[in-house]
Parts: sequence; C-alpha cells; structure tokens
Amino acid sequence: MQDKFFHHTTQLFAFVVLAALVGILVSLTYEAWPSIKAFGPSFLWTNIWSVPDDKYGALAAIYGTVVTSVLALLIAVPISFGIALFLTETCPVWLRRPLGTAIELLAGIPSIVYGIWGLFVFAPLFADHIQPPLQALLGDVPVIGGWFSGPPIGVGILTASIVLSLMVIPFIASVMRDVFETVPHVLKESAYGLGCTTWEVARSVVLPYTRVGVIGGIMLGLGRALGETMAVTFVIGNANRINGSLFAPGTSIASTLANEFGEADPGLHIASLFELGLVLFIITFVVLAISRWLISRSMGSEGL
Amino acid sequence: MMSLYTRRIWINRIGITLSMLAMSLGLIALLWILWTLFSRGFAALSWDLFTQDTPSPGTEGGGLRNAIVGSGLILFFSMLISTPIGILAGIYLAEYGRVSRFASFTRFMTDIMLSAPSIVIGLFVYALFVVTTGGFSGWAGSLALALIAIPVVVRTTENMLKLVPTSLREAAFAVGAPRWQVSLKVTLRAVKSGVVTGVLLAMARITGETAPLLFTALNNQFFSTNMSEPMGNLPVVIFQFALSPYDNWVNLAWGGALLIALLVLAVNIGVRIVFRNKVKR
Amino acid sequence: MPDQVMPPDENIALQVRNLDFFYGDFKGLNNVNLDVANKKVTAFIGPSGCGKSTLLRTFNRMYDLYPGQRAEGQIIFHGKNLLDKSQDVNLVRAKIGMVFQKPTPFPMTIYENIAFGVRLYERMSKSAMDDRVEWALNKAALWGEVKDKLQQNGLSLSGGQQQRLCIARAVAVKPDIVLLDEPTSALDPISTAKIEELINELKSEYTIAIVTHNMQQAARVSDFTAFMYLGELIEFNETGTIFMQPVKKQTEDYITGRFG
Repeated sequence: MQDKFFHHTTQLFAFVVLAALVGILVSLTYEAWPSIKAFGPSFLWTNIWSVPDDKYGALAAIYGTVVTSVLALLIAVPISFGIALFLTETCPVWLRRPLGTAIELLAGIPSIVYGIWGLFVFAPLFADHIQPPLQALLGDVPVIGGWFSGPPIGVGILTASIVLSLMVIPFIASVMRDVFETVPHVLKESAYGLGCTTWEVARSVVLPYTRVGVIGGIMLGLGRALGETMAVTFVIGNANRINGSLFAPGTSIASTLANEFGEADPGLHIASLFELGLVLFIITFVVLAISRWLISRSMGSEGL
Repeated sequence: MMSLYTRRIWINRIGITLSMLAMSLGLIALLWILWTLFSRGFAALSWDLFTQDTPSPGTEGGGLRNAIVGSGLILFFSMLISTPIGILAGIYLAEYGRVSRFASFTRFMTDIMLSAPSIVIGLFVYALFVVTTGGFSGWAGSLALALIAIPVVVRTTENMLKLVPTSLREAAFAVGAPRWQVSLKVTLRAVKSGVVTGVLLAMARITGETAPLLFTALNNQFFSTNMSEPMGNLPVVIFQFALSPYDNWVNLAWGGALLIALLVLAVNIGVRIVFRNKVKR
Repeated sequence: MPDQVMPPDENIALQVRNLDFFYGDFKGLNNVNLDVANKKVTAFIGPSGCGKSTLLRTFNRMYDLYPGQRAEGQIIFHGKNLLDKSQDVNLVRAKIGMVFQKPTPFPMTIYENIAFGVRLYERMSKSAMDDRVEWALNKAALWGEVKDKLQQNGLSLSGGQQQRLCIARAVAVKPDIVLLDEPTSALDPISTAKIEELINELKSEYTIAIVTHNMQQAARVSDFTAFMYLGELIEFNETGTIFMQPVKKQTEDYITGRFG
C-alpha cells in the first residue's frame, strides 16, 4: 500500500519532465497561433522581418542559425576528435585527469561569459588580425570569395560560428572520449599486433567501431549550437537579413528572441517570435532525439 | 617498402601532433577566456560592487547589490523547487526504470531536456506564467531556472543510485523493509554525497543562465526582495550593461561575469576534488 | 648477466635470455630462458597467472601499450634484441603476428580485414591484393566458406570463422612467427578441432607459439612444451618428454591434474 503510494508519487514527479515538454509544445503553438494563421507555412521560407509593416518570415533567422551551427561543427568536430584521441590514446596517464577536467571546465563556463569575451576580446582581434589577411587570401577566389567580402567589422556570422565552436567542443569531445573508451583493448591490440601506428588504429579501428556514438556526439553538439543564445547574440551582429558574406552580421532564431522579445508589440510580432521559438524547439528536439538514440545505442550493446 | 613505411610513420606523427595541437587549442581557449575574465573582472571588483545598486544611465559608479541579491533569491527558490522534484523523479527512474517503458521514455526525454535551448524554456514560462499572472516576476525566473535544473538533478540522482551495490539493497529487503523505506532510508542515504553533487552541479548550470531570465524575471534597477515583481539578476544585468555605451556599466558587467564564473568554477572544481577523495577511500 | 648478442641460428626463431617482466612493482616473469624453434609449434602451459600470456606478449612488445609494464633481458630475433628501445615495434609486430583469445575482426568487410594489414607494408594492384586475400583465406581454411561474401562485415561470421579470419589476417602479412594466445578457449569443440588442424598445416611455413590452458591441446598440436608456474619457466622440452617423462615434480603434478 505504502509502496504503491511511493511508486506513484515518484512517478508523478518523473511525469513533470514529460509535462514540461508537452507544455512547451502546446503553449508555444498556442501563443504562435496568430502568426501561424496569418503567414501559414511560408513563414519558414519568407525572407522578411519588418516590425513597421507587421510582416514576418523566419528565413533569415533560420539561415543564420543553421549556417553558424554548421560552421561551428566544421571547426569543432576535428578539434574534438583530436582532443578525444589525445586523451584516450597518447596522453600520459597522470595528465589525463587534469586535462580532461580542463576541457570539462570549458563546458562549465556560462555562455554569457563566452559572449562578452567574444564581443570585447575576440571580435576586435578577429577584425584587426584575421579578417584582413583572410580577405586578401581568399577574397578574389571565385565562388568562395564572396564569403569573405565586406568590411571586417569583427562581429558577424563567422565570429559567431567560432565562438559557438568553442562552446560545443567540450560536449562533442566528452562523448567521443566516452565512446572511444568502449573499444575493447583486445581489438586495439590486434591492430597494434599487425604493426599499426596509433593514428592507424584510431582511424581504421577505433573510429569505425565507434561510428554511431561519434555521430551521436556530433548531433549533440549540433543541438547545443542551434539553441545557444547568449554567446551568439553578442557577436553575430543582429541584422535580420541574409547576406552571402560570412563576415556580414546576421541573426539567429535565439538571438532574435533575446533581442526583440522584451520589447515586442503584442499581436503578430510577439506571435511570430513565439513561432520562431517553436521552430527552434522542434529542430533541436529532433536533432537531440537522434543524438541520444545514437549515443545510447553505441554505449549500450555494441561490442564483440 | 621502406618508403611506404616512412610515409606511414610520418602520417602518424602528423596525426598525433595535430591531436596535441587540438588539445592545446582547447587549453588556450580556456586560459584565454579565464585570463580576460580575471584581469577585467578583478579591475572592476570593489566594495561598491556589493553595497551599491545598479546605476541609472549617465551616473557614475554604482554596484551590483540588487542584482546579486536578486540572483541569490531566484537561484535559491529555483533549487528549492527543482531539488525534491529531481530527486524523486531520479528515484523513480532508478527503482522502476529498468522494467517500465514509461520510465525509459521519461529518461530519454530527460536527456533531451538536458540540452534543450534554454531560451525556449523562457518562452514557455512567459506564456505559462508571466501572461497569466500579469507580469514579469522573480517567481517566473525561478520557475524557468528550475525547469532547466530538474533534468540535471534527475540524471545525476539516477546515476548515483545505480551505483549502489545490489547486495546492499537486497540486504535491506531481506530484513523486510518496504520498497519506499529501502529507497529513501538505505539507497538514497548511501549516495547522499553524490546526490548533493548533482544538486550543486545543477545550481552551477543555472547560475549563468541568461536567456530564460530575459522574459521571466526581466530586470529591476532597484533593490527588491519581492519575488512577485521584476527582479534584478546578474546575468541579465551583464547582458544589458555589456552592450551599453557607458564605461562604468561595461565595467560592472565584467565584475558580474567574474562573480558568476567564480561560483560556477568553484562548484565544478570543488565537486571533482571531493568526489575523487570519496572514490579513493 | 651475459650481454653479448648470440650468433643467429637457422633453427631458432627466438632466443629468450634472462627475461624479467614487471607490472609496476610486481614481478610477472623471473629469469626466463628458452629457445623457440624455427617452424615448429611451441606450447606454453601452466595454471592461470603463471606468466604464460605475459611471456607471449613480450615477443611482440604488446606490453608497450601499457605504461608501468616493462621487460628486462634479451629476446633475440634475427640477431637483434627486440626489447631494445631502438627496435621499431611496428616492424617487429609485422614480422611477429598475434591472434587473441577472443576473435577480433575489425569493423570492416571480410576482404578489408585481410587487405588492411597487407596494405600497411606493401603497395600492390587490386588483382594482386585479391590474390593475396584468397591466399590468406585459403591458408586459414576459410576461403570456401566466405568466398561469396567477401564484402560482408567480418562480424557477421560465426565465432570459429571469425577466429580463422583473424588467423588469415595475421598470416596475410607473411610474418615469421605467429603468436596464438589461447586461440580456442572461446570456441566450440568443432571450431577448436578446425583451428588445431590449421596449426598443424601452418607450422610448415611459420614458427608458432601457442598459449593454452588445455593440456590435451598442447599435447596434440605442439612439438615443444614449456611449463610455467608463478612467473618461472619450470620445465621446457620436447612435448612428448614433458607429458611422458617430466623431470620436475611440479610439472608432473600439473599434467596429471593434481593441481591447476
């Protein structure tokens, strides 16, 4: 009797988490309804965001969100792989713990700290010392030259991507490290036994063996990057338009919300912001669900 | 054959060097950010920081007293909400989670909530709470942060409980204790320090959260302990002041950022040190 | 300690001299001396923890992977001490292959499992590689069973087939010596019989060192047998002698099943 009560009480609290998820979905949809009704699905691919005209479309924000996240991953994935490889294969044992902790601390730093660091320290340095040479080097190359055009003002899509990549590195690296440690010693020994180098063991045995978990880790990083607000808001430049250059300021869903929500006009403007939030929630939910599924599959039953 | 072999050795060297480079890059980023934070933050530290309230535009000096107290209150209440919910839900997953489909579904969703964008949680609490109660408030802020903290507490509690040896549980069942007593009085007690760790880590996680407070606690330029009103808090102050044109405001933002980071890093490092000793013993 | 390098002997593949092995502070092998005969099967038997696997793992310096483990003494291979720091372990391991207790196919196709190791040391055309893969699988008596599914994952094979795949993988790089570390202990009796048969075939071309806890197996497949106990080599002789007329009491006790 008491046990049954206990079971149901604890279950009720576990239910809170589910209720919150469903609540988010329902309440955001409810609040976004005026915008959903007014713009229909074309909200997603309309490139306009005008408060005076009361016309809203999400394309610029979605573009900024996706581009910064993908660029961040392009930078973060190889670095995370290097870190995980170093920590599991080559690092002296006594250094593993302190270095591992250092990388985890990188994940502990609040995102707003990344934001002000990015704005006050990284962006000026980037504008003075990295953007001009990058422009000189790649600016005239056909096709990709356009990505590096425009005034080097420091803040913009590329800066946001770099700061984002720093933020997701610890998450991706720690998942990679965990799944690398699931590789049976004897499997690595057989590769070493053939005369493989450490790099060959990592590339040809460890990586294929942990493929599923590694992809899960990357998706986790993607989920994080898509929803990151503060670090991006500080350095993306907050211009609600699409510009082909990576040096140009842009916006993301999260930073649009952070900038505009507090002073939004009731009516279509706020409803559109809610719809943006709903879009972000659905995208990250799907990405994170896939990520968790892959990671749990990889950590669970895979093995010899 | 030798040339092929030399090539392989070189590729290995390059690969290993690159991995070391990646590691150094991570460390450099960490040290760089910390260095900036400490040098600028310490410059902003002063007695005034803790005794004066946030200044109005154009006035000199000022401090963060209202924001520090506000953040403290919001954090306190959000932990008060999230700790019992998180622990009980964690017990449920650990006790019944092995067999029940509902439990494994909940665990999956909790993992997703762990990384869900915090700004969306802010929107949710705005829609649920701010709109219905008629305004921004400290309570709304606490609620938003609690929703972010709960999944952290749930998962650490569950993971800690799973470490309890089955023999201990069986011994407790063997003396005829009902399940709820075994859970609360034996297993939970056995992992007390682990659960405390989870709670502390959850607190560290939400200490710097800014996005969800923007639309819930909002901000308050004046000192207030009324949780039903908009409330000053460090993250939002940092956000607003850092982007302001006033030098003293920007300074205060750095000071606030240092305070938050110190707390977060202290918890993160402290928990690791304490835990390491526990494991050794 | 005699430090001079022995003259190479055609009939001896490995000369072990004054070999000590340490796991941190614990001494795992104590002054082991023996010769592994060329193109013969040498079996290492003894109770668990006697150091037989440890000894095998010094032959290809597998212990190098683990900090804190070190070997002292000499193991002469082609006239050089392979324990020397200056020895390139990758090249040593290419000449001294190893097969483990559990089958360890790499996470790739059956074909790639074989080709992978070959490619480390030799550049060859696609058709030459096809030939080599077929040759190695034939050596491991596996060709007939897998020739139609070379592009399937190595893990799709049965346990016994996986183990023969691992033997084929070791043989494919044309080593001088093949080390077998309890290769049949995870297999059923039929697969075990197939592997033992294979060992008999392989010894005409390769020197084989096998660790086994199965005395009948040692008696069936080996030419020489080493009995080890508590990190020491107790007795080493032709297999027939060890099993029929052991000199030492401990050896007799072990093979007659009085302890172990």
